[in-house]
Amino acid sequence: MAGASMKDIKLRIKSVESTMQITKAMELVASSKLRRAKERQERLRPYFTGLKATLDQIECATNDFSSPYQQEREVRKRLLIVIAGDRGLAGGYNANIFKAASALCEDGAPACVLPIGKRAVEFFTRKGYEVLSGEFAEAADVSIPDCFTIGKMVAKGFVERQYDEVTIVYTRFVSMLTQTPDTVRLLPLESAELQRETGVRPLVLYEPSPAAVYDAIVPNYLAGMLYGAMCESVASELGARRTAMDAASKNAAEMIDDLSLRYNRARQGAITQEITEIVAGAEH
Amino acid sequence: MSTFHLKISTPDGMAFEGDVERLRVRMIDGDVCLLAHHADYVSAVGAGEAAITMEDGTQRRAACIGGMLAMMKNEANLIATTFEWSDQIDLERAERAKARAQERLQAAKDDKREVMLAQAKLQRALVRINVKK
Repeated sequence: MAGASMKDIKLRIKSVESTMQITKAMELVASSKLRRAKERQERLRPYFTGLKATLDQIECATNDFSSPYQQEREVRKRLLIVIAGDRGLAGGYNANIFKAASALCEDGAPACVLPIGKRAVEFFTRKGYEVLSGEFAEAADVSIPDCFTIGKMVAKGFVERQYDEVTIVYTRFVSMLTQTPDTVRLLPLESAELQRETGVRPLVLYEPSPAAVYDAIVPNYLAGMLYGAMCESVASELGARRTAMDAASKNAAEMIDDLSLRYNRARQGAITQEITEIVAGAEH
Repeated sequence: MSTFHLKISTPDGMAFEGDVERLRVRMIDGDVCLLAHHADYVSAVGAGEAAITMEDGTQRRAACIGGMLAMMKNEANLIATTFEWSDQIDLERAERAKARAQERLQAAKDDKREVMLAQAKLQRALVRINVKK
């Protein structure tokens, strides 16, 4: 009776221990990958800020500036680019992203989705959304050229009026412990915040023309934005997984403590019982 | 010869920073060559070869695709989508990419998007092969 329960407890301790080993390993893997994801994002920065600065400059330097990418249209259809994870076991990471994406669709305008990450592809296919392309099923594997392909595709679709608004849904990496889902409107582009200068403008040669340069840069800018969001999302996923796995390891340690206590008690109980039996036998 | 400062950034980090004598890049409407004290200039980069003459007169070639080039106050800033020095290019990989792109182009037929993608891939491979040769 007591022996059987002792054996059960021992088995449970063993299984919890091996689970803890896995969660610990996952936590370590996530933290080392996280560092790399953050570095990738850092490396992108000069490229991205350079493009953004030029776009703003062109807009400010030209009097009657207009670009198809800035055209505000009535939203008849919107495109959502949703970046989620490839795997589960990352706390609420995936669920939060889908909640944020679904909230965007609430005003009724039909939406098509470009999911990135295995979970996103699965989720939106199951929910019956119009999926633009299921090609990008591995968020961690989407490379820079892939981002440029998407950037070009999205820019072209917008100019051809396949959709009137493009929004990207990703997870912002606030800190190691907090990651919040965020949405950013990609297209139409916001006008530059800088006031257009009325006085002397710097004389800059735009070849072939300011508008042509602007329109040629936009797809690259979108790709840069997308790649940045992707790096941040990957970092967030790893951060979320790290936190989740840390909590899981702690829980496992707690469980092991609890079980060891019960095991010792059971052992003690068995010994006491045996002694009592022997003593009782000797008295007779 | 006088020189100017050149910075080359790509999505994967800085590819080059330093003083150069001459910079030649393929833009969307043809080759452009910048020397020191060029007027302020901004344009979009096409796909082709870039050649840079360093301070000591040596010339380095690279494959340079997409992005933009800005020359402001004698400082050039080349923001390229792809920038690979000729010695970094993997010829075999480029040849393989070329063959794959050609196959894809054959298979694409009337699918406009596929054709566009395949053409872009083919062009990138061809630029790399040309620069390497």
